[in-house]
Amino acid sequence: MANNTFYIITLFALLAATSLTAQEAVPKNWDSEKIKGSQLIPYPSYTGNPYLTEKFVSGEIEFTDGTKIENLFLRYSTYRDEIIYFNSAISAQIIIDKISLKGFKLFTKEGANRIFRNQYYNGFLPGNRFFEVLNDGDIALLAYRTVVLQYCSVYNNEAGVLKNMEYQQNFNYYLYNSKKGYETIRIGKNSLLSKFDKSNQKLVKKLLRNNKIAIRDESGLIEAWKLIQINRIPTNF
Amino acid sequence: MLILFVAITGKSQEKNHFSLFTDRDLYASGETMLIKVYVPADEPSGIVNIDLLNTKGRIISGISKKITGHQADGYIYIPDSLSSGSYLLCTSTKINSSLTFKELYITNRFTGIPEVGTPVRASKIKPLKNRLIDDLQIEGLDKSVKAREKLEVSLNLPKDIVAQIEGNLFVSVSEVTPGYNSQSFQSTIHRDNFKSAEKEGVVLDGYLKDLKTGIPFKNGVVYLSIPDSIPRFDFYITGDDGYFNFQLDNYYGKIPVVVQGFDNEDKHLLKISVNRRDSLKNCLPDFESWEISPAFRTSAEESKDAVTFRKIFNQPEVAVQPAMKPGTDRYPFFGVPNIVVDPQLFINLPDFTEISRELLTGVKYRAYNRIPSLQIFNSAQRTYFNDSPLLLIDGIPVRDLSVIKDLGSKEIAKIEISMNERYYGNLKFPGVLAIHTKKADYSRVLVSDEVVKLNFDCIQPDVTLTTLSEHPLNEPDLRKVLLWNPSVKPGQTIKFNFGTSDLVGNYKLVICGADKDGSIFYKEHLFEVN
Repeated sequence: MANNTFYIITLFALLAATSLTAQEAVPKNWDSEKIKGSQLIPYPSYTGNPYLTEKFVSGEIEFTDGTKIENLFLRYSTYRDEIIYFNSAISAQIIIDKISLKGFKLFTKEGANRIFRNQYYNGFLPGNRFFEVLNDGDIALLAYRTVVLQYCSVYNNEAGVLKNMEYQQNFNYYLYNSKKGYETIRIGKNSLLSKFDKSNQKLVKKLLRNNKIAIRDESGLIEAWKLIQINRIPTNF
Repeated sequence: MLILFVAITGKSQEKNHFSLFTDRDLYASGETMLIKVYVPADEPSGIVNIDLLNTKGRIISGISKKITGHQADGYIYIPDSLSSGSYLLCTSTKINSSLTFKELYITNRFTGIPEVGTPVRASKIKPLKNRLIDDLQIEGLDKSVKAREKLEVSLNLPKDIVAQIEGNLFVSVSEVTPGYNSQSFQSTIHRDNFKSAEKEGVVLDGYLKDLKTGIPFKNGVVYLSIPDSIPRFDFYITGDDGYFNFQLDNYYGKIPVVVQGFDNEDKHLLKISVNRRDSLKNCLPDFESWEISPAFRTSAEESKDAVTFRKIFNQPEVAVQPAMKPGTDRYPFFGVPNIVVDPQLFINLPDFTEISRELLTGVKYRAYNRIPSLQIFNSAQRTYFNDSPLLLIDGIPVRDLSVIKDLGSKEIAKIEISMNERYYGNLKFPGVLAIHTKKADYSRVLVSDEVVKLNFDCIQPDVTLTTLSEHPLNEPDLRKVLLWNPSVKPGQTIKFNFGTSDLVGNYKLVICGADKDGSIFYKEHLFEVN
C-alpha cells in the first residue's frame, strides 16, 4: 500500500512538473533596453562640477511613449542640460537623446528621488529643457539647474596648469502652469510675495510666520510653496 | 485515485483546446472562408495563427490574428489554384503545443469534383464536442423563408446563461451542405523550447548560421529594417543557438521587411534564415477513403457556379477594413541628423564620389583601386572616424559600399549625415550616412546569404461581410453567408437583421459563445430558403 502511494505521488509530481515547464515564461529579448544616444565628449577641465552629482547615481528614465527603464546609472549634466547613462556592457558614457525622453528620476544616496521633466521653455533661449520638479501641482515649482563656464581669477589646477575659468552654478526657479506658462521666482520672501495680490500677501506672510518658514534657501522656498498649495492661496500669475 | 486524476486532467485538457468555427464546411476555390476562434483562457500568447493545409500537411495559406477577450476572427482567401479535395484548417499559437483542426472540403471552381480518384477524410480522430444549449429561444425565423426576404430575428437568452458568458457571442447564418458533417479534432506538436510568445504583434524569428559549417552562430548581429517615412530599425545579438526574434507590435497586413545578419568581426560568412510556417505534416491524423454522396456532389457543383457568377458580377464577399499602422518614431533611430542635403538644389552630379566631394561636408567617399571607402567627420573630436559609418539606403543598413558608387544626384531625394558616434542599445556607429532615394524601393539592397527581403504577413486586418443592401436588384444575389457577426455583445435579447439571397436550399443559424469556465456552448437553427 505504501509503495502504491509512493508511485501515485511520484506520478503526480512528474505530471505537475511537466505542466509547469509548458507554462514557463518565454524569453523576451526583443524588448531589451535599446536606448538611443550619442557619445559623451568629456567637458573641459576647470574647477567646479559640470554635473549635478559627483558620480553616476541609480535612476530611471521614461520615454515619450511611456516606456520606463529602471536601474540605470545616470548623471545629469548641468553644463549642457543633458542626461548621460553609463552602458556597462560596452563601457561607454552615452548622452540619451533628449527628444526621446519624457523625463527621468535620480535616486540620490540620501534616499531622495529627484524628478526631472523634459519641457519646452518659451522664454529666453527657447527649447526643450530638463526641469527638476521641486513641487508638483496645478502650479508646479520647477528648477532649471545650469552651470555656466565663467572667467575667474587665474589659478593652477591639480596638474599645475594655469586656468582662468570655472564652472559656476546658476540655478533658476520657475512657477509653471501648463496653460499660463513660466513665471520666474527667486529665493527670497519678496519674490514669493510678488506672485500674490495685496490681499493674499497678508495671508502668505501670516502663513509663513505661523509656520516659522524663512525663505533663505531652496528648501525654504519649497516648504513655503508646499504650504501655499495646501492652503490654496490664489496667485496673481 | 489515479483514475480520478486522469479524469480531471482529461476534463481540463478538453477545455484547453482552441474552438474553431467556419462560416461553412464546403467551399469553392476563389471564395473567402470566414473563421472564428475561441482561445483557451490560460493561453499566454496574444496572437493566434490559423492555417489552411492540405492532407499532406503543407500550409497553403495562413493568417495571424490578435486575440481579444480570448477570441479572434479572420478570413482566408481560398486560392483558385487549389484542386478539389479535403483540406484542414488548423489553429495554433507560437508556443502552445496544442493544435485544433477542422475538416473542410474545397471544390476547384473550374474542374469541379473529379469523377476519378478516391477522396479521403480524417480517420481515427476524437471529435471535439461543444455544449448544445436548448433553452435559447429564436424568434422571427421560420422553418421556411422566401428568397430575397428581409428578416429580423431575436435571440432570447436566459438570465443565468447571460451571466455565465465570457466575452462576445458569435452569430452566423450560412448555407448548409447536405451529406457532409465536418468535424474538429485536437492534435499536438513538438515546439522547440517555446522560444517566442507573440503578444501585441507577430514575431519574426529565425536562425543565423555559419555558411560553411552550418553551425548556429553565436554573437552574430541581426538587423531588422522596416522601410517607412521614418524607417524602423531593431537589432538582435544571437546566443549559442543562433536564434533571433523581433516582435512586430501592432503591425497589420503585409509589410516590407529586410533582415540581415552578419559577424560583427567580419571573420565568418553567415547564412540567415527566417522561420515560416510551411508544414504541419507531423501532426496530421490518418486519412481513409470516403464516398461522396450525390447530394454533396450536387451542392458542390452549385456552389462553384455561384462563385463564378459572383466573380463575373464583381461582388466581393467581404470588405477588408483599412489596416491600422503603428505610429512612426518621432525621429530616426540614428538621431536627428547634423546635416541634411538635397542634391536637387545643386548641379547634377553623376556618381556618389562627386556628390561627396562637392556637396557633403565631412563625408569622404573614395574608390581607390576600385575598393570604395567611406569616412565621416567626427564633429566632437575634430577628426575623421577610422571606421566606416553606418550607411543606410532608404533606411536599410548596407554593408557593401560599392552599392552607392554609381548613385547620381538625379536618383537621390535627400542625404542625412550624423557626425557623431551614435549608440543604439549596445551597438555603436561611427557616424551615420542615410541616403533616401527617389524611388524609395530599396532595390539597391541586394539579397544574399546574409540579407533576406520579404513581404511579411503581420496581423490580418478585420473584415466585414458585404450585405444585401450593397447588391443592386438587377444583379443576382448569390450570397451563401447571409450573416456573419463574430462579436455580438451578450444580452438577454439580441436582435439582428439579415436578408436571404437568391440561392435556395438549407441554411443554418449558429449562435456560439464561451462560458466563464472556458467551455464553449452553441445553438443551431436549421431553416430552408425556397
